[in-house]
Amino acid sequence: MIELKNIVKIYDINKNNKVTALNNINLKINEGEVVVLRGASGSGKSTILSLIAALSKPSSGEVIVDDKKISKLPDNFAAIYRRDNIGFIFQKYNLIATLSVKENIILPLIPLNPDAKDVAQKLEIVAKRFNISHKLNSIVRNLSGGEQQRVAIARANINNPKIIIADEPTANLDEKLSLHFIEILRQLKKLNKTIVVATHDPLFFGLDFVDREIQIHNGNIIL
Amino acid sequence: MILIPEVMTILILDIIFAFFGTIAFFLSIKIFFGWNIDSTSQKQYKLEKQSFLATTIIKYILAIKVPLFLFFIFVLDKLSNIITGAMCAAGVVNATPYGAYLFILKIINLYLFTYWLVLNAQDVKYENQPYTKLKFGFYIITYFVFISELILEFTMFMSINVDKMVSCCGTLYSSASTSAISVLFKVDTSILLGAFYGNFLLIVLFYILNKKYLFAISNFLFIITSIISLIMFFGTYIYELPTHHCPFCFLQSDYYYVGYLIYTLLFIGTFHGIITGFIKESKKSTIKNYKISIFFNSFYVILVSLYPIVFYIKNGVWL
Repeated sequence: MIELKNIVKIYDINKNNKVTALNNINLKINEGEVVVLRGASGSGKSTILSLIAALSKPSSGEVIVDDKKISKLPDNFAAIYRRDNIGFIFQKYNLIATLSVKENIILPLIPLNPDAKDVAQKLEIVAKRFNISHKLNSIVRNLSGGEQQRVAIARANINNPKIIIADEPTANLDEKLSLHFIEILRQLKKLNKTIVVATHDPLFFGLDFVDREIQIHNGNIIL
Repeated sequence: MILIPEVMTILILDIIFAFFGTIAFFLSIKIFFGWNIDSTSQKQYKLEKQSFLATTIIKYILAIKVPLFLFFIFVLDKLSNIITGAMCAAGVVNATPYGAYLFILKIINLYLFTYWLVLNAQDVKYENQPYTKLKFGFYIITYFVFISELILEFTMFMSINVDKMVSCCGTLYSSASTSAISVLFKVDTSILLGAFYGNFLLIVLFYILNKKYLFAISNFLFIITSIISLIMFFGTYIYELPTHHCPFCFLQSDYYYVGYLIYTLLFIGTFHGIITGFIKESKKSTIKNYKISIFFNSFYVILVSLYPIVFYIKNGVWL
């Protein structure tokens, strides 16, 4: 389903300061699979996620999702691909602090211009699933870290994407909330979502529902 | 040299356009010769990024240049108040040896630039960007005409001498004129009108028969027959003066700026007609272009035809 072929990614800060983030990466992730990318900061985990999400393009090689060469998509088509296929959970949640929980969650639906009934239905499903129904009208900046994380997860799922991408999702959470997040991932796995998590949090290692753990080091896959 | 704020605006924009247009020109050369959409090499990904940058630059330059043509005419008209002897833009155009060439070049560029914008709009519609190579190749050629226009524009405004007496449109567009326009006065009005209405009927016929290349050619010819008939016949009814043949005076407030409407209708109608033969589009887009062309050309024909008809109804005679 997701295939990275001969991926090289070089961050060209200036001519004398090139950083090779990924060095000839080949990786296949099947539909419904949960993959954890392990590695230290700067190893290239987040770069892999941004390539799968078509947030950036490789320097060479190609990224194929469902037989579509997404690394070759022009920006306007890449945005449509992201909107329709990807749910992104960021380390710092990336919520709009001054908006309510409800407004943050339905944000990805706005470009689709759906009818109000459809929005209400989708909102109810994700809010219930991620246990945030009771806070729908609260302003995001007044929520705790765990609640903000659940809002971010609900927002990532409102479009019912096939692929969930999480970049260091528990970096700002304590152990209890991190374990709760892992339970949410387990739920998503049951919904047959393809999940790719980049983390160096040991809580993610050796989990029963994780299909594969991939170690990244200096832009290379180690195992 | 003449430097009123409107002229300075045009000249400053010219400098900005020349600077960014030149950057886009060099990027276009790289893209045109190196583009291979199927490649996943480092070079191709770099070209894709540069293509986005070059497209953005060209798109904004040309999208400003197209409506700026109307502003240019407005400025010429305004300058006619300063230049001795000039009654409208025609006098200003003829105040220097460069004016007429600049004006013709601007009309050609208007079509070229709009064609590029349509080409680009088609290109970004598809994931595989089918027109990328063509649009950058086209820009490489257009760049030289574009720069020529900027140089001519600079030269024209720099060489205008406000103290030098110029001819007014009444002299320039008359049978006594020594310019090429005087030849047209020898052509019979019925032949001119026959060519104009016949040309329009051909456009309608090729639309009905769905012959897109013939439709495009007849639209191209319609620009010529329309402008000649406007100067020689319809214009006189707008002015209600049988001897006045100026293609600029009806852009003034005395004639309710109707010239802007007339030229805009003619441009939109003929442009959409011409591109049906130059861009491979979906059937739906081609039909849309056909319809826009027919609508605006018909509107143009009705509008210019109404002037003699209304004049005849009011006065009972033809000019």
